Amino acid sequence: MTSVSIRSRTSSLRFKICCSAKKETVDKVCNIVKEQLALPDGTAITAESKFAELGADSLDTVEIVMGLEEAFGITVDETSAQDIATVQDAANLIEKLVLEKAS
Amino acid sequence: MAAAAAAAPTRAEALSLFRSLLRTAKQFSDYNIREYTRRRAADAFRENRALADAPAAAAAFAEGKKQLEVAKRQAVVYSLYAPKSKSVMELKVQ
Repeated sequence: MTSVSIRSRTSSLRFKICCSAKKETVDKVCNIVKEQLALPDGTAITAESKFAELGADSLDTVEIVMGLEEAFGITVDETSAQDIATVQDAANLIEKLVLEKAS
Repeated sequence: MAAAAAAAPTRAEALSLFRSLLRTAKQFSDYNIREYTRRRAADAFRENRALADAPAAAAAFAEGKKQLEVAKRQAVVYSLYAPKSKSVMELKVQ
């Protein structure tokens, strides 16, 4: 008597949400951006805010990235820096670099 | 010396020069020099943002590169005579 056991194994949905930064990182980035662009206190900055929308030109972006490097003690290379367009991008990159540095 | 027709710097080149200047500024241990270098670099780049014609832009770029060399040399020199105490501006607010 052959028993066929169908082991139904649900495909392991490894819901790996890669590249999502911690809230405190995002907040820190928001503060640095606010300071650099001298935005009035009431301005709403979220993770999705684009630097260009906040009134930053490419020079401001370079300065912001420098400020982030100093605040988090990381070094961002040229190519990665060019891809940063929103606060979320910056926070993700920071987290990645901090992890790499720690390992 | 044949004056080669210098092409205007691309956006990426200009930003790269700006980044190098800011990085060099970071190396100064003296707060005043560091802040000045940063401020001056930002002001100069902002002022020359809208240079329309290529020769003027190329000249400004060349000037910027010269200043970068100066800053690099000075960073080395200043590091030899770094003061022990920090400037009051650098002390964290208690």
